Amino acid sequence: MIELQVRDVYKSFGGIQALNGVSFEIQGNQLIGLIGPNGAGKTTLTNVLDGVYRPTGGQVWFNGERIDGLPPYEIARRGLGRTFQVTRAFRRMTVLENMLVPAMALHPTARQRDFHKKAWEVLEFLTMDHLGREFARSLSGGQQKLLELGRLLMLDPDIIILDEPFAGVHPKLMETIYEYIDVVNKQGKAFIIISHDMESIFTLSQRLLVLNFGELIADGKPGAVKRDPAVIEAYLGEEEEEEEGIVLIEAGDMEDAEESDA
Amino acid sequence: MIKRLLQPRWIAMVVLVGLLVASPAYLKDSPYQMAVVTGAFFYAILASSWALLAGIAGQFSFAHMALAGIGAYTAGILGRDLGTTPLQGIIAGTVLAGLVGLVIGILCLRLRAAYLALFTIAFSEILRIWLLTEFQFTEGSNGLMLDKLWEGITGVQEYYVMLGLLLGSMALMYWLASSRFGLFVRSMREDEEAASAMGVNVVRYKVLIFVITSLIVGLAGATFYHQVGIVTPNTMEILQMSLVIAMAVIGGMESLLGAAIGAFFSRVSLEMLREVGVFGFTIELGAWRYAAFGLLLIFTLRFAQNGLLYPIIDRLFMRGARKDTVAKRTLAEEET
Ligand SMILES: Nc1ncnc2c1ncn2[C@@H]1O[C@H](COP(=O)(O)OP(=O)(O)OP(=O)(O)O)[C@@H](O)[C@H]1O
Ligand SMILES: [Mg+2]
Repeated sequence: MIELQVRDVYKSFGGIQALNGVSFEIQGNQLIGLIGPNGAGKTTLTNVLDGVYRPTGGQVWFNGERIDGLPPYEIARRGLGRTFQVTRAFRRMTVLENMLVPAMALHPTARQRDFHKKAWEVLEFLTMDHLGREFARSLSGGQQKLLELGRLLMLDPDIIILDEPFAGVHPKLMETIYEYIDVVNKQGKAFIIISHDMESIFTLSQRLLVLNFGELIADGKPGAVKRDPAVIEAYLGEEEEEEEGIVLIEAGDMEDAEESDA
Repeated sequence: MIKRLLQPRWIAMVVLVGLLVASPAYLKDSPYQMAVVTGAFFYAILASSWALLAGIAGQFSFAHMALAGIGAYTAGILGRDLGTTPLQGIIAGTVLAGLVGLVIGILCLRLRAAYLALFTIAFSEILRIWLLTEFQFTEGSNGLMLDKLWEGITGVQEYYVMLGLLLGSMALMYWLASSRFGLFVRSMREDEEAASAMGVNVVRYKVLIFVITSLIVGLAGATFYHQVGIVTPNTMEILQMSLVIAMAVIGGMESLLGAAIGAFFSRVSLEMLREVGVFGFTIELGAWRYAAFGLLLIFTLRFAQNGLLYPIIDRLFMRGARKDTVAKRTLAEEET
């Protein structure tokens, strides 16, 4: 059974306290949304979980093993995969080669051609099989996001963290991403999905985490979180309140999000 | 298997190697031309291993000539002071170059491209100046004499030794580049953070690529300067290194074969253009050769960023050019 425990995690950059004692647990193949205003610490949390940053305090346990302090490639091989807020395809490699990198990293004795079949299947699932021989740099932004999702499947992780998977994606590709999340989740993988797209995140997730100024201010069912006074308060600073609770943040914010991570 | 060997690229390869193996038959009456071609093999090894390091793995190092020099000086000094045979000296020089490559790789793990370039330039210059100042030990600017590889070695034999090293190192590098190793170092070149998130041990492959290319140039340097008979600190000048880089760029930085062929022809033409006879007059081209070479480099960088030779090689040997047309196709489908 998949198990992730985040225990009182702190992360500071000089004077900035990006994560301020965050604790939560994931059991099984939950589909979790992670929201919070710009600069709340969502990407920082992802980077701590996948080993890019060592937390300044606290611990992370994954499937019975402490993983904070391990390098990212070790954590990836243990089954925690992530995408990046700003896409990071291997641009001067073909789409197929992009797919083979994680497969080869995970299977030290395998040959590349052992994984061609699986790679093509995943690409087909993502409606990208006609692009397999193209360089990744020739793909559109949305297709590069799909490619990152495809690479993750080749890594075959237990937990998948998606940082802004819907930002700047054409509606047509968005459907593919929805289906991806649904199918892969039903195959038994847990998801943490970070998004400013409130509509998507509220319909998708079974459970919602809300970060604000590095602190977890809410953790529960989407319906309950929506009415949580602390959450409404957190979002009030940014935009005017709507009757229902959280204001849907407009598409314009997606570009801000992309820039802030560059 | 037979079918695979009949593909154009294999035929072209066999023809190319065949030409190289057969050419001493034509060259053997001109020791000078023979030596020029042998030297060009050395530069082909330098340029192609640099293409692996910089073009394929993205580590833009200027320490390549210095590492070849380390191989040569180690072999020479051991031979002079301890009476080792050239073979023993070459082995020691190769190992030491590999160790220095290991240290450079470790020190440069966290350096961004520009700093790696600066660091390796500084390293080469410090080494060169040290060799000049410690002249009691290194013979300084007079240069260090090295024995011939074996007594009575002929120009033809030296040609085959260098050709063997070239073919051997090319085969090794090709195998590496097409294996998982090549896949990983290219992903590292593209994006270290994404590569490690995909499970690639970036630290290991970064250090490995420095060690492997250093071993290759150390071996080539130690062997080549045994043939030349003398090595001087000038070999490590940044100008020399820049020539190697320019050769690789002209040939095609991401292509081992392109870089090797580019270096080979650059080297041969630079030598042949020392003097040009026109209507009975002899024109000394001297430094003008380098100016022409520089122009060619500028032309390449401006108009043919894949190198001048790589596109031809790609068509001849590889799958054929891939086109960037998908972007246009999909741009219509998707607004970003
Ligand atoms: N590498 C870093 N160095 C210094 N400060 C950083 C670094 N990374 C993040 N921060 C700071 O930490 C805080 C949290 O940033 P983070 O990127 O995690 O927010 P986020 O919730 O992902 O925001 P967004 O919605 O804009 O993507 C911000 O104040 C940010 O400026
Ligand atoms: Mg973020």
